[in-house]
Amino acid sequence: MSDWPLRFEAELVRLGVRPERARQLGAETAAQAGEHAADPDRFFGPAHLYARHLVTELQAPTAAVPSLPGPVMLRLTGVSKRYRRREVFSGVDLTVRGGEVAAIVGANGCGKSTLLRICAGLTHPTGGDVRRTRRVGFVPQDGGTAGWLTAEEHFTLFGAAAGMAPRKARSTGTHLASRLAWRPGRHQPVQDLSGGTRQKLNLVLGELHGPDLLLLDEPYQGFDQGSYLDFWRQVREWRDAGRAVVVVTHLLHELEDVDHVLDLGAHGGGDR
Amino acid sequence: MTALTVAGLSAREVGRRRTALLLVISLPLWFYLVRRDLTGQSTRMLTLGIAWAVSTLTLFVVNSARGVDPRLRLSGASVAGIIGGRLIAMSGFGLLLAGGYLVLVGIDQDIDRFWAIALMMGTTALLAAPFGSLVGALLPRELEGALALLSVCAVQMLADPAGTIAKFMPFWSARELGTYAVDGGGADLLWRGLAHAAMVWLLCTGLTLAVFARRLRLARYPEPAPERT
Repeated sequence: MSDWPLRFEAELVRLGVRPERARQLGAETAAQAGEHAADPDRFFGPAHLYARHLVTELQAPTAAVPSLPGPVMLRLTGVSKRYRRREVFSGVDLTVRGGEVAAIVGANGCGKSTLLRICAGLTHPTGGDVRRTRRVGFVPQDGGTAGWLTAEEHFTLFGAAAGMAPRKARSTGTHLASRLAWRPGRHQPVQDLSGGTRQKLNLVLGELHGPDLLLLDEPYQGFDQGSYLDFWRQVREWRDAGRAVVVVTHLLHELEDVDHVLDLGAHGGGDR
Repeated sequence: MTALTVAGLSAREVGRRRTALLLVISLPLWFYLVRRDLTGQSTRMLTLGIAWAVSTLTLFVVNSARGVDPRLRLSGASVAGIIGGRLIAMSGFGLLLAGGYLVLVGIDQDIDRFWAIALMMGTTALLAAPFGSLVGALLPRELEGALALLSVCAVQMLADPAGTIAKFMPFWSARELGTYAVDGGGADLLWRGLAHAAMVWLLCTGLTLAVFARRLRLARYPEPAPERT
């Protein structure tokens, strides 16, 4: 007999579902597959992915409660960037409030990452006006970690930068990691992690100090399907908690879930 | 607190690169063994080997942190905390390395002013960390930085110690302190060496901080004005 139900239950428990509830869901799912005389693996797909999908569905609010947008967290007015003679973009306007998600889209090389770095304050704009809240979390597309340190040591390091006590930083980091269905190994250096897990670490580090504004540069690089769903669920949770999120993305099918889309296009553009 | 955390974690990071660490630790030994029969030459060469080892390791540590530093700044760390922490770690490593080789020299050589040998090796180790850091700040790519360090160390070894060029080299103080320790020169050698070392340390540390303060500076944006309801 297939061990699909066992793997399904184990994944549910790993994602935080109580063991009794996981057993019940496992039995219901097996019965459902049995009704169709089908192998669960073929009927529902891989056990871990279906478990994640189910958890996401279970946690989704039953009725959408529209929340009022909060205070302005980021306002760009006529922002431009030029490298010597090459203009990357100009006249970019964007306003993002607490409880809103904005997506920056556009072709390769149109300046999406540059704009995000300007929002963070890591790159200076050539022109225009930027106003943003002080507490900001930035998650780069890749890199941004020290290969020989473990995830816990990263929590300590970034926590110290934000003035957090080491123990609090570690426990906060471990908790945030669990929300992305990841349990950091105590002795595993970051360079031994998969690309997707490194990005989960990057996300946790960006959120560790509780920023009001999160700036995410295609943070799902290397994620499997389950992690990708976890990520967007996390974005929705941030929004529901009143945080502002700006995410650079190539994946247009996620744009239905966001409040603003800034299409930089080939030469830069304005808020849709 | 950030500086101490950065120092502790930088030390752990270095400690995990075991092969590189072993090569760095053994490097000064080859410098020493080549001239082991001549006390003055061997201790000065050993000291330059320590300088090269510590500055090269610092260069690599500084370069490998390039992706982390801007994020630490965004999280609230100061430039002095980040760079200072790394300098504390690498200076500590340099002093440990110098201490180990000092024991070797103490056992293997007969020197009257042994404390001056300790001073020569200690000051050189302390100079090497900010010097490697400065090269890393100015030449952010590892290959270019390593070649620059190689050039400096080569010139340092080959230049006439009494000539003008040698005096512009970062570890010229090792020659003065070494001469005082082994050849029994006057106290002016000692003070000249220490003054040169202090000047190089201040220059390298100051310039490193200045370069990183510019590179890691964050744009200061005003907060959005509260809206009227």
